[in-house]
Amino acid sequence: MSAEASPDPAPRGGAPFAAYRQPVRGEWLDYNGHLNDSSYAVVLSAAHELVLEHLGLSADYRESHQASMFTVETHLRYLAECSAGQTLTAATTLVDADHKRLRLHSELYADGVLAATGESLYVHVDTVAGHSAPLPEDRQARVAAMREAHADLPRPAHLGLGVGSRP
Amino acid sequence: MTEPTSSRITTPYEGRAAAWTGDAEIGAPLRLHRTTAPPEWMDYNDHMSESCYLLAFGDSADAFFRFLGIDEAYRAAGHSLYTTETHLHHRHEVSLGEPLEMTLQLLDHDRRRLHIFHEMRHGDTDLLLASAEQLLVHVDMGAGRSADLPDHLLARLDAIAAAHADLPEPDVVGRPMGIRRRHEQPEQRERRGQ
Repeated sequence: MSAEASPDPAPRGGAPFAAYRQPVRGEWLDYNGHLNDSSYAVVLSAAHELVLEHLGLSADYRESHQASMFTVETHLRYLAECSAGQTLTAATTLVDADHKRLRLHSELYADGVLAATGESLYVHVDTVAGHSAPLPEDRQARVAAMREAHADLPRPAHLGLGVGSRP
Repeated sequence: MTEPTSSRITTPYEGRAAAWTGDAEIGAPLRLHRTTAPPEWMDYNDHMSESCYLLAFGDSADAFFRFLGIDEAYRAAGHSLYTTETHLHHRHEVSLGEPLEMTLQLLDHDRRRLHIFHEMRHGDTDLLLASAEQLLVHVDMGAGRSADLPDHLLARLDAIAAAHADLPEPDVVGRPMGIRRRHEQPEQRERRGQ
């Protein structure tokens, strides 16, 4: 599977969400000129933000609904180094969801080569009340539509395995 | 997304030579890094950006590497520790200027791998803010593959492991991620491919 193969971000026809495309930035590199560990989290978070935007759950939503998606957990697997001059892309699958939680898995590519995978669990939080809350009906419908579109996408063997576990 | 102000990512300990003394007390857990959440880590609503938790854990890991004996000179000689996996749990938001205290526990190691666990706690209240479980591998950078740690570093790891032997294993260690549903039968989870 290649992120290049599906430039259209619309989650139709069973393709992963692949809108993210970003050249490696100088401020993401560390002493040896490679992408710093924490910068993979920056990239994953930015790629997932585009998915949340597509679902109507990004910045505008925070403003209009006083509610927001919070990241509860993130699990990164580092597979290859990335350096300046490379372009990063992501292929994201909505793996699971319920009325207030989303679980996204992404493959991160550097110039088309798989460089990392990242999995995140999000919970919908009412920021005024300060606790988790169900998504509004219209957002639940968007989530359901993406789940349906992603239902038949292959699930990576490492999905949901703890640190150090191998498929 | 936070825009770091420096031209590249640095840690507070860069350039500081490793100094294993051999007779120093080994903290259980190790407490090698504390900091104050700086303005450049804040997002639009003045909470710490998600990825900056990992930046802070990375700084604590760098302090640990130097405590162990892995510094610029060690890396220049051709070997380093690479992170292969990181599992973060975000527990509480962090606001500008809050004191952050990091701890590090050695869970397990063999000749070329380290399994470590970090906690980030509030410096005044001790509230657990976040944790990170990491797997690291010792790498021969020239050959581009994993390699055994040298005996002197293994001996230090053994000493740290002995000091940490009685620490309880944190409940999130090894735990898989997932949306857990009440009243769910194991076969239902299986059908969802979990």
